[in-house]
Amino acid sequence: MTDTTTVGALDTMPRLLARNAKAYANTPAYREKEYGIWQSWTWGQTSEEIHALALGFLILGVKPGDHIAIIGRNRPYFYWAMVAAQSVGAVPVPLYRDAVAEEMAYVLDHCSARFVIAEDQEQVDKMADVMGDLETLEGVVFLDPSGMRKYDKSALFDYRELQQKGRDQEATLQAELDKRQATQGPDTTCVMLYTSGTTGRPKGVVLSNYNIIETSKGTCEFDHLVAGDSVLAYMPMAWIGDFIFSIGQAYWSGFCVGCPESPETMQADLAEVGPTYFFAPPRYFEGLLTSVQIRMEDAGRFKRWLFNTVMNHAKVIGPKLLDGKSVGLLDRMKYWLGGLLITGPLKNTLGLSRVRVGYTAGEAIGPELFDFYRSLGINLKQLYGQTEASVFITQQPDGEVRADTVGTPSPGVELRIDDSGEVFYRSPGAFVKYYKNPKSTKDTKDKDGWVATGDAGFIEKDNGHLRIIDRAKDVGKLKDGAMFAPKFVENKLKFFTSVLETVVFGNGKDTCVAFINIDLTAVGNWAERNNIAYSSYQELAAHPQVYEMIQANVEEVNASVAQDEMLSGCQIARFLILHKELDADDGELTRTQKVRRNIIAEKYDDLIGALYDGTTSIFTETEVTYEDGRKGSISATLEIRDAVTFARKKVAA
Amino acid sequence: MSANFYYGIEVFLNGMMAGVLYSLVALGFVLIFKASGIFNYAQGVMALFAALTLVGFQNGQIPFSHLINAVFGTNIHHFGWHMPAILAIIFTLMVMILFAYLVEKYVLKHLVNQEPIILFMATIGLAYFMEGFGDLMWGADIKKLDVGIPQGGNVWLEENTAFLGGPDFYGFYLDNLDMWATVCAGLLVVSLVLFSQYTKTGRALRAVADDHQAALSVGISLRAIWVIVWSIAGFVALVAGIMWGSKSGVQFSLSLIELKALPVLMLGGFTSIPGAIVGGLIIGVGEKMFEFLIGVPFLGGATENWFAYMLALLFLVFRPQGLFGEKIIERV
Amino acid sequence: MQDSYVTADGRTIGATVMEMKNITLRFGGVTAIKDISFDIREGEVRAIIGPNGAGKSSMLNVINGFYHPQEGEVWFHGKRRHAMKPHQIAKQGIARTFQNIALFKGMSTLDNIMTGRLTHMKSGLFSQTMWWGGAQAEEVANREIVEKVIHFLEIQAIRKTPVGRLPYGFQKRVELGRALAAEPKLLLLDEPMAGMNVEEKEDMSRFILDVNDEFGTTIVLIEHDMGVVMDIADRVVVMDYGKKIGDGTPDEVRNNQDVIDAYLGVAHD
Repeated sequence: MTDTTTVGALDTMPRLLARNAKAYANTPAYREKEYGIWQSWTWGQTSEEIHALALGFLILGVKPGDHIAIIGRNRPYFYWAMVAAQSVGAVPVPLYRDAVAEEMAYVLDHCSARFVIAEDQEQVDKMADVMGDLETLEGVVFLDPSGMRKYDKSALFDYRELQQKGRDQEATLQAELDKRQATQGPDTTCVMLYTSGTTGRPKGVVLSNYNIIETSKGTCEFDHLVAGDSVLAYMPMAWIGDFIFSIGQAYWSGFCVGCPESPETMQADLAEVGPTYFFAPPRYFEGLLTSVQIRMEDAGRFKRWLFNTVMNHAKVIGPKLLDGKSVGLLDRMKYWLGGLLITGPLKNTLGLSRVRVGYTAGEAIGPELFDFYRSLGINLKQLYGQTEASVFITQQPDGEVRADTVGTPSPGVELRIDDSGEVFYRSPGAFVKYYKNPKSTKDTKDKDGWVATGDAGFIEKDNGHLRIIDRAKDVGKLKDGAMFAPKFVENKLKFFTSVLETVVFGNGKDTCVAFINIDLTAVGNWAERNNIAYSSYQELAAHPQVYEMIQANVEEVNASVAQDEMLSGCQIARFLILHKELDADDGELTRTQKVRRNIIAEKYDDLIGALYDGTTSIFTETEVTYEDGRKGSISATLEIRDAVTFARKKVAA
Repeated sequence: MSANFYYGIEVFLNGMMAGVLYSLVALGFVLIFKASGIFNYAQGVMALFAALTLVGFQNGQIPFSHLINAVFGTNIHHFGWHMPAILAIIFTLMVMILFAYLVEKYVLKHLVNQEPIILFMATIGLAYFMEGFGDLMWGADIKKLDVGIPQGGNVWLEENTAFLGGPDFYGFYLDNLDMWATVCAGLLVVSLVLFSQYTKTGRALRAVADDHQAALSVGISLRAIWVIVWSIAGFVALVAGIMWGSKSGVQFSLSLIELKALPVLMLGGFTSIPGAIVGGLIIGVGEKMFEFLIGVPFLGGATENWFAYMLALLFLVFRPQGLFGEKIIERV
Repeated sequence: MQDSYVTADGRTIGATVMEMKNITLRFGGVTAIKDISFDIREGEVRAIIGPNGAGKSSMLNVINGFYHPQEGEVWFHGKRRHAMKPHQIAKQGIARTFQNIALFKGMSTLDNIMTGRLTHMKSGLFSQTMWWGGAQAEEVANREIVEKVIHFLEIQAIRKTPVGRLPYGFQKRVELGRALAAEPKLLLLDEPMAGMNVEEKEDMSRFILDVNDEFGTTIVLIEHDMGVVMDIADRVVVMDYGKKIGDGTPDEVRNNQDVIDAYLGVAHD
């Protein structure tokens, strides 16, 4: 089925590594800040480290086809572990490190993992908790030994000691390693990633070397990524995007992957690394913009004036320059001056001054937000993808960037929209199968290789760009038959800085209603400036003035929704501000911070009822889970408000 | 551009250089205030004392010669040698360090944990004591200080800038001494900042300035730090004394330079080193430019005496914590 | 001298490091500590608990050498200890934290923790002024130790932040960091968990145990809240009204009638 000739000899990750170790022997491959200093490893050193660990895996008795789980934050050692696993014919399975032990146990059991590479005591403790229930799990390799001096070491192996043993026994083991690598090819599994899934148990997506390498090759060429580029790896390692950026594309083009000192220092490390290629979810860009706006509101009058003047000019000129359109000399000079005074230093603090290619994806991004970054001269683009596609389905080519589309098909991708509006694709990156789940595989991928995305969308006639409306299963109908697409409305609401998250309901009902989460940073700052005292999220959320502000936002959205021919029925008639932030620990969001609509609807059944029965306030009690797994509950009396809705636009007959 | 424009620039540059000298004096105040919370009234007198001692060493004067002559009926005044400037500066510095040590041992040590006003009083006493002691030691006559810094206008600069402003402009007239003073003061400030940021003693100095109790708990000896701070302040006073003394002779009025430093402190804040520098520059440039643009043409001149205080007063009204002083926020 | 023994969780408790013999401390007419004796053994976590005003902080100040008792003797490393000046205290290998955080608010986290190294830095003033070989190498070597502490306490993200801007829990952590940087033989913690929420308390307990475990540091801590202490201490001294009313393992102390009375029966807060 797969075409092996296109990638020639570079058809497995270990072979790409061997190429890089020769071609880029002295170019940095990984950087990491530790003890306050940036350490770096060249491709030559990286290859040696991986080789030593692979030999160590042989000593442990790793067999071809074994699954090796990897649980840790973005550190070079774990990226090496992935390729070391591939080198001995095993399949790396990176897991979300903040998942609780039971979630991990499910995955480890499902893929029959024999070994786990764990970051530190915290992860080792989780493994110790579940090891008794897992028949196949034989050992845990840990990186950071602190706190574990007294642990029973019979099933624990020190990462560095394992490497040293590997080095010591190279002479006897090398032949076996060579033999294993020789049998690998494009169809060998490269990685298995569990999708967090908005419903049901996670599924293991099997991706072959061909999937990853062919996708990486095409997209590297698409954005001209080369050995001199660099990224900062900070998204969870269990996410396909991180695998593609920090391993797939990095190995294909030989660029450098930087790892932050700790998750909290990411912003500072970003500014120090100054990556040229950068991905972040819209949430991240929203957060940055909010913090810039807050700082400007707190700044002196002159500074604010200067900022606004420069930004207003940059908003016109920046995108034009990015798209290569002609700009007058005077405007260019002004833009340059603005760069010197405002946008340059700003970009530098944000860590984005060297970004040549920036992507965002996963959620719709507001036009203002998008314009802001593009006016700074940051080439921020959108892409559309999923784990099953090895990320890339569509992406925006340079010069064709818009806020409301997700771009044209990525290299080698074919698109099809079926009658119900669902988007299908066929691509080199399309996954092999769901592990041990032929039914789901069959439901998702047909025999011709077309994969269902689960998203509803359409292709713009004149330019071939794809536009996504909502999850296909979430798109429904109101009682009167008008189309209901909650995400369409939610996205519009979330473009307000005061709104962090929102969930809109209305399928099969007369009208739409909404839950809203305020953004504690933005609203908190606003409250401070307006002398509104509050001690908690709950108290601030219930404040009448906050309600006033949110109501204005809702009504503005209604006015805008009323303009849409297909979706004008989705205006919000009633809303409430939730007494707690939706949280992944409570199962309300996925680990990638997407709302789990059905779970929320079930959990807050009483609130939805109240939104529809006309009451103006309701008492509710909710169970919450703390970070350490303990449970508690919070209760509140919530106010419910009516919002003004606007006349629907008549659908042309 | 008219010649007046260039004279304006000249006035500006002269103002900058005068400002640097103000900063230098203000710096001495700030250092001691930060480290020990004392407003050291004696800072000006320390500059005078340092300059007197320097001249004394250079000329080989015998200390207390008047006293000795009066008591023993002798007539001795000089050792008869002339010391090179650099050697004299080193000896003077040693005297200033000794002075710092004695101040700590006989004054500060006994006043630990006293009210700031008591400490302030103590420095007033110290100032008058030093003034009298300096007179007694080196004599009250006006002395000429020359450590080899060239004086007078810089001819080269004047000749080479004359072309700028047409026939009515004769080039920038800047005093060599002022330029030297600027360079020295700049070097002094940079090295002080580096010292306080990147050495263990510098860190200890900042720690003491921040919180006495916490400093004690990590094993910093407050007394040792005070000796170091007063020594540094003495060194700064010496540099200021050399510059001002070379300019207008070493005499009692030298101690009045602290009156120039006061408005600088009001402007820059009592606890900020950058404040002392920027404040000094603003006052220096401000008073010269005001005199040039408004004072002489409209007010009959002599505005330099009060302008600095006017500016400082205005500043106090709008920003009482000073330019770089920490904002005082009282949460209700 | 007692024999060393190994605890259930595998730590070695060694010989007596410090012994308090019949300590009495008075301020004017008020007696803060009345005839108290107890010992501290190498490698143990020793807690002093008691209600507010029981004289715990005064006891810590006696251990530390800040107060010199009117009666009784303090024996440290087999020698009787005499009165000291405040700045000499830190040089004897005893580091401490304070109930009301005593940090340098205007200085960064890094600089604050670096001050913990002052007693270990020997270079002369002249060498420092010139930023010469000795001083520079010393600065680098000590910075490395400080970075390990920062790593250990997971405060990399606030390395350059002025301490005054940090939330309370982090300030407590920085203060612990400064004490750790001194590589003390004896670490005194004055209510390390006061004013913290449950999560912060758990973090702090973990750090305290890790310090004790990883570096073998002897720790004396004062707490007002019994719960946490009972979990992490090897032996506990209980004080009430300046007197010792109990001394022993957490279990022994928990079952001591006087202790139960002081905490539950006769309230006098």
